[in-house]
Amino acid sequence: MRSISSFLSGLSLGRRAVGLILPLLLLLGWQYMSTRGASFAYAFSSVSQMQDALRELITSGDLQLNLAASLLPGLAIGGTFGLLLGISMASSRLIDTSVGPLYHILRQVPLMGLVPVFSLWLGNGDTAKLFIVCLSAFFPLVLATYESLRQVDSKFLEVGNVLKLSRAQQFRHILLPAALPNIFTGVSFALAMAWLSTIGSEILFNAGAGLGNLMMNAEMNARMDILVVVTILIGIVGYLLTFVLYRITAYLFRWRKTSSE
Amino acid sequence: MSIGIRAAIGLNRVAGRVNYRQLKLAAFISPVLLVLVWGWISHLQLISPQLLASPLEVASTFQELLASGELQEHLGKSLSRLVLGYSLGASAGLLFGILMALSKNVEALCAPLFHAIRQIPTIALIPIFILLLGVDESFKIAIVIKASFFTVALAAYEATHGVSVNYLEVARVYRLPWTTLYGKVIIPAIFPPVLTGLRIAFARSWTVLVAAELLVADSGLGQMMQMGRDMFRLDIVLVGVVLTGLIGFCIDRSFKWGEAHLVRWRVA
Repeated sequence: MRSISSFLSGLSLGRRAVGLILPLLLLLGWQYMSTRGASFAYAFSSVSQMQDALRELITSGDLQLNLAASLLPGLAIGGTFGLLLGISMASSRLIDTSVGPLYHILRQVPLMGLVPVFSLWLGNGDTAKLFIVCLSAFFPLVLATYESLRQVDSKFLEVGNVLKLSRAQQFRHILLPAALPNIFTGVSFALAMAWLSTIGSEILFNAGAGLGNLMMNAEMNARMDILVVVTILIGIVGYLLTFVLYRITAYLFRWRKTSSE
Repeated sequence: MSIGIRAAIGLNRVAGRVNYRQLKLAAFISPVLLVLVWGWISHLQLISPQLLASPLEVASTFQELLASGELQEHLGKSLSRLVLGYSLGASAGLLFGILMALSKNVEALCAPLFHAIRQIPTIALIPIFILLLGVDESFKIAIVIKASFFTVALAAYEATHGVSVNYLEVARVYRLPWTTLYGKVIIPAIFPPVLTGLRIAFARSWTVLVAAELLVADSGLGQMMQMGRDMFRLDIVLVGVVLTGLIGFCIDRSFKWGEAHLVRWRVA
């Protein structure tokens, strides 16, 4: 995101217009292919068809369903557990050495590879999907919480020792405020992963509703117009989610000079 | 990374006053415990054996698949797709990223489209790729190329942008020929961040390839797991899960080893 904004601010208007050349060419080429005949039209649907598909999509409410049924609960549940495990791993050496290795082993398994296992255990329904989304938010947040609590400057902790703070006070007044900006970076990562696995699990579970399922149906019926619209929409929503979180983080930690970086 | 696993794989030999050998042993407690509990539960048959294969069963299935040569075939297919797609995507991404950072014209022309496409998760592109390319080899390789190209290109672009102007000014003062400028200044400067980008790209490519194989394939690890799911053979699925995890772990580890050892001069 940083690279885009620095890119835009660093260029004059003329240079920015140059950037539109390739997308426009792509669009024209696409439109041309769609008019070439039936054999091409199945893959390259015309722009007007896509407009209809977009209208259809917004009225059907699949996007709202995705956000409300999968992404947000998954992020909340998985994120909370991730945060708790990260905190306990950072504050107790016993938990760190006993649970840590297991965590790092399980983290390596690609989540999409777990889809067959969960479909056997939990069925093809919403439970299995939600579980995948929870896991995808859980793993990055454990690591981020752990690392950012560990990297708190020892100077701060020494001040706490001098003031004879209890462990709880130390955590509440020193560790947490110092680590929170970095933990939020982890949250943004967890958000991206959760959005990705929301779509991915719907594509792979092929049951129920949602954008991913809509795409698989469109693929089956060779409806390229729906596919293109949904794909672009997924990109835009992902970007907007990250952007909103970024603004919230920047606002919350405005007291911190480096928080915007 | 937790101290336990650092000790187990031999990073950071100095872990404070904690006994190194004790830590090394402690790191294996929870994985071993998990396998034991897993074996115990499946022994008690609390859950139907169809839903929870015992560890021994998974091991014997692994041997069976290995003996019949099925596993090697699937693994070979998956890895050859991964290597082919990744080497194409990563090398193109590397060149493109550096070019985009060095040339203002290329940047102005390509950057908006590049950043726009970058926002779309690769897995969401799978249906479109299937429709355009069919379900053959080319589709899986194209998916891997997409996953690796954008990650590596972004890393190379940001790394090249991040090369300090001071270095370039010193190079200009010494009137270094451009071969020396590239060989001694720019490439060493962008090497560490690019290596990290390459590692992340590899992990992403691997995940996306397994997902693509789960969806449509006639061979490969993902297909093997999908087949196991359809036949209710959880043992086969678990062999696949363990293998994909293990391969991901080994590749990640070797890249990290490279990051730690190839760029040693940087810390020194």
